[in-house]
Amino acid sequence: MKLVVHLLQRLARTIVLIVLVVIASTVLIRCAPGYLSDAREMDARYAAAARADLSTEAARSQSLRQMLFTEIDGWTHGSLGLSREYGVPVLELVLPRVAVTVKLMLRAIVFAWALALCASLLSSARRNPSLLWQAPATLLLAVPTAALATLCLLVDCGSPVLVMTLLLAARDFKFLDRMLRKAWRDPHLLQARAQGLTTFRLLCAHILPGIRTQLLALATLSIVTALSALVPVEVIFSVPGLGQLAWNAAMNRDLPVLLAVTMIMAVAVTFAGMASDGPAEWQGA
Amino acid sequence: MAGRLKSRIMALGLLACLVLIAIAVVAAPGASFSAQDREQLLAGTSTHHPTGTDALGRDRMVRVGAALLLSLAGAVAAAALTTMAAAAVGTISAFSHAYLGSLAMLVCDVFLALPWLFLLMMVRSALPLTTSPAHSAAITFLVLAALGWPACARAVYRGAIDLRNAEWLLQARAGGLHGRQIARHVLPNLMPLLLPQFLVSVPAFVIAEANLGALGLGIGEPLPSWGGMLLELDNSAMLVRTSWIYLPIALLILVLLLLEAIAIEV
Repeated sequence: MKLVVHLLQRLARTIVLIVLVVIASTVLIRCAPGYLSDAREMDARYAAAARADLSTEAARSQSLRQMLFTEIDGWTHGSLGLSREYGVPVLELVLPRVAVTVKLMLRAIVFAWALALCASLLSSARRNPSLLWQAPATLLLAVPTAALATLCLLVDCGSPVLVMTLLLAARDFKFLDRMLRKAWRDPHLLQARAQGLTTFRLLCAHILPGIRTQLLALATLSIVTALSALVPVEVIFSVPGLGQLAWNAAMNRDLPVLLAVTMIMAVAVTFAGMASDGPAEWQGA
Repeated sequence: MAGRLKSRIMALGLLACLVLIAIAVVAAPGASFSAQDREQLLAGTSTHHPTGTDALGRDRMVRVGAALLLSLAGAVAAAALTTMAAAAVGTISAFSHAYLGSLAMLVCDVFLALPWLFLLMMVRSALPLTTSPAHSAAITFLVLAALGWPACARAVYRGAIDLRNAEWLLQARAGGLHGRQIARHVLPNLMPLLLPQFLVSVPAFVIAEANLGALGLGIGEPLPSWGGMLLELDNSAMLVRTSWIYLPIALLILVLLLLEAIAIEV
């Protein structure tokens, strides 16, 4: 019973958080000084009458309440609003791209975790941090995503998955290495090693279960990092995913589309956070 | 420990040298990051332009120097603002009523749930079309500062709660310590939390600005920025003509490595 109540509380908090995220983003957009400007108003090819129509259209969406209502109405009806640029429901633009983005992110996260886990297991087994593993990770963390993607494209030896994998692996490695290094030094593990327990058994039975909570938190961080890397990677490699859609919307000031994509990302982050915090809290409950 | 301190001091010294060189390059007589030499478009090394010019005939060395100074100044200012905001929110929430603390943490959760790059893009794209380059630079770093404080505020809040429950502070409060006096005693004790947050924020903001600029949503031309110069790498015609085009990215990586070295485990 306690567990059910806890789960319901957690779900309610997540829903409240999402609603607040919608309101905060809408307010932020509406209060931005250039919200009502439209690139077409500066185009000399438009007649004065057309420009006046554009101003009237902009003035109609001036009210924050109206804007919030339209946004929530779009979400409840499943259309996610109407694109300013294309004049079609945002859902039609988003749906075909979700699969591309999810596939890219999943592949990158899986490869990155495999790479980071192998590297950190090898690295943490040594007494002192090895430059062989630390130097590439530090270097990769110092390269902006856009720069790494551009360089990969220039030398023609990379794909979006590779760029995202490298970035995620570098970040995950730093955390995993520290976690495992600390775990290996635990007195009970030193004792177990002295008694001749195999490394595999130590890992499976003691170390990995011991750092499970941190691993789940790191998984959430991986998702957040992947979402941040998504836009530059998809734009530079011309991947037709959500990141590219958001960038196109930002360049064309198509704010309903940008708002919808941001909301989808926020929902993903919130649920990922809930999933990572869950097991530890549920165990407590 | 001594080795780490030594490497941190070396990194700081090297960064200071880079900044001084950049100041000397930018402040040299006749140097201008926006002046165009129309006879020397995409030129290689010459006496007038030691690292060549860009596609518009602007001196690359002056532009790189100015980008370094602008990016570092902006990132340091934004990191200082973020840290101050986090210190204020975290401390005030911890020492106020419990509901205010919960409300502040809920606001932090809302900000943390929003992917910052998308939020940055959203705010940048909703700016007026006539925003000047200087304003776009200021707004970019202000937005970074406005979005960077929640994670830091959470950490400060936890630290301040621990301090609030510390026996010495309970004793001091029971003895009549209040308001500004509490802040005077608490803030120095929060420095071990605030300083790393500040140092970590600086490279994060430099990277964020570079990424935004590379997407065409950062600092507007003709002001030089790392991101704007990374865009040059898209032009294959330029890559064939001069290898100095790689100078900005090489210097950016060096600066970020130095900043990371300074920030590591303070």
